[in-house]
Amino acid sequence: MDERKEQDQGAGRDGDCEAQGVPGAGPSAGNARRRLLLGGGLAAASAVVSIRPALANTAASVLNCQIPVPDPAKGMGQMIAPDGKLVPKGTKGAFPASSKPFTGEEVKAALRGGRSLPGTSYEQNRAYLNYIRRLQNGTSGFTCYASLQMPR
Amino acid sequence: MTQAERLYYRDDPDEMLLRPLDGLTLIYHRPSGITHIVDSPVPEILAALSHEPLPARLLLESLSADYDLEGEGEALDNLAAHLEELCALGLARAR
Repeated sequence: MDERKEQDQGAGRDGDCEAQGVPGAGPSAGNARRRLLLGGGLAAASAVVSIRPALANTAASVLNCQIPVPDPAKGMGQMIAPDGKLVPKGTKGAFPASSKPFTGEEVKAALRGGRSLPGTSYEQNRAYLNYIRRLQNGTSGFTCYASLQMPR
Repeated sequence: MTQAERLYYRDDPDEMLLRPLDGLTLIYHRPSGITHIVDSPVPEILAALSHEPLPARLLLESLSADYDLEGEGEALDNLAAHLEELCALGLARAR
């Protein structure tokens, strides 16, 4: 952002001492390499503003977001126990991972008891929903699940 | 595990839709349905990430090949802070 400011203000807008005070500073200083400010006193968080679907009131986004069962990064090769916990492959009574993620809309309907998650049996649906209820921040699908909880 | 040992990577790039907007960048993250409005250096850091898990130190080397960065020690700390934030947002992953 700072770099852009310098470029914008090279034409002589006041407020940027650096751009005005240094001869040759600005877009035509002859340096092909761009400067990248990783910090420079700015808090890291200032570089990002996130628009959460529920806050933006975009219902479509919430319903189209995805919840993998389980998170491929954390549950690779594992199965889902009836209580929703991840267990090693081959555990008796556990269900295999879902071949595709569920959408927010599908999960919402299933949580309300309206209809089971697509392609699941009664017990499998319950196990998957228990897994989803246990989702924690940092796990793929958590934000989608959290968005479903927010009132609109 | 200390932060210096953490390895950072990103999932399938198709999970994110990036669009420049008046000097900022909009990122739509498909799995969460969240739109992030990000400023430099976030798009540059995301571009440096790949599916191969790398420590912040090597990512900094990769960035310094393309950009002029501030003092090295400070740059590494700042980069690590950004990477952690991106992980918290779900845009990057660490292990």
